[in-house]
Amino acid sequence: MRRREALAGLGSLGVFGAGAAFAFGDLGLSGNEERVESVELPQIDAPGSTADTAVVPESGRVTYVTMFATWCSTCKAKMDPLNEAARNVADTVQFISVTNEAIGQTVQPADVAEWWREHDGNWPVAYDEDLALTQALDASGVPYSAVIDANNRVTSTELGYSDAEAILNHIEDAK
Amino acid sequence: MDRRTFVRLAAVSAGGAVAGCIGGEDSNTVFDEPYIEDANPEALAYPAHGEKLPDVSLPAPLQDKNMSTAAFVGERETLLTFIYTRCPGPCPGMTAALAHVHVDAAKEGYSDEVALMPTTFDPEYDDTERLRKFSKQNGADPTAENWVILRPESSERADEVINGEFGVGFEAYEKADGKGHGGHNSSQGEPLNPDEGDTDFTHVNLVLLANRDGYIERAYQEVPRPDKLLSDLKTVRNGY
Repeated sequence: MRRREALAGLGSLGVFGAGAAFAFGDLGLSGNEERVESVELPQIDAPGSTADTAVVPESGRVTYVTMFATWCSTCKAKMDPLNEAARNVADTVQFISVTNEAIGQTVQPADVAEWWREHDGNWPVAYDEDLALTQALDASGVPYSAVIDANNRVTSTELGYSDAEAILNHIEDAK
Repeated sequence: MDRRTFVRLAAVSAGGAVAGCIGGEDSNTVFDEPYIEDANPEALAYPAHGEKLPDVSLPAPLQDKNMSTAAFVGERETLLTFIYTRCPGPCPGMTAALAHVHVDAAKEGYSDEVALMPTTFDPEYDDTERLRKFSKQNGADPTAENWVILRPESSERADEVINGEFGVGFEAYEKADGKGHGGHNSSQGEPLNPDEGDTDFTHVNLVLLANRDGYIERAYQEVPRPDKLLSDLKTVRNGY
């Protein structure tokens, strides 16, 4: 078999590394004002969360949702600012995290609950069983946060880390 | 003989033995168009839309035998990706995307109709135990028959196969600040296995979806959104 020219075509790909970060770079905000359909998701029995169902986003109030995965290191790092934001956010805001990792074989809801405890989560946490929310929000990586206003319009999205102040500001902007 | 002509002839001669109902006339794929690559497939480093999945035999440590990247051609759809477990960012994501297929297949009863092949280009660090743990963390059962991690015998062999045949363009470099992946800044958290080694890699992100006839349907140059990957796989499966 011939050896492919390893470098041919790399220009159109973008080489990963040396400063480039795929899913975990700070890509900033890209509110697109699109309406998203609400989806019903199973919640996980964990601190701040009951084994109930959650409707995300909840029409009629502002939603701040963060897609995450337990394998994702930046998701761990984001738990502290999320925790601080959760403590300071108004009760009128739906504040929720949703894992969109592959649940059902080696990772079960109970494993997510354990991760949640380890990282001091204390607000509702659900999982995107059919990836419907991932699709609706076009969550292109994790952690991926979206602010959705009372009329189901996405006002901002953010891929990667952010601090509590930025999180609270984005929520405020959607009111 | 021109390579593509040869490919076409091979497909025609095999046409009687396989389901011949895919795509248009003269097509080996269900998807008529490439995903996002726009160059001539032959000009691209990696196996692109419509090209043949390379056939290379590599150790499969979880199965404890050698297996070919094309081992399942003729029977199943194959998904490949190229990773190293110390990778802080996209490699877990690409592995997790394959894990989504793994979990969906178990749930929907098509586990024996799909093969999942994450392939490491860091064989010196990625021993069997680390690959097993990495699989589990990303949601895939390392004892499953369809979860086949490939691990070249050496770094040289990894270069020969993963760069030479699959065009991933990975390159090892010494970490300058001990944090790895070059420009990852402190806000991006800790790598999965932060304490090991001074070597990191640049690489392109690549996930390949080959149909059961061994032709590339999708070459994602990114971490594919899992629902998109599942939907594309479904389209290919329904094309037969």
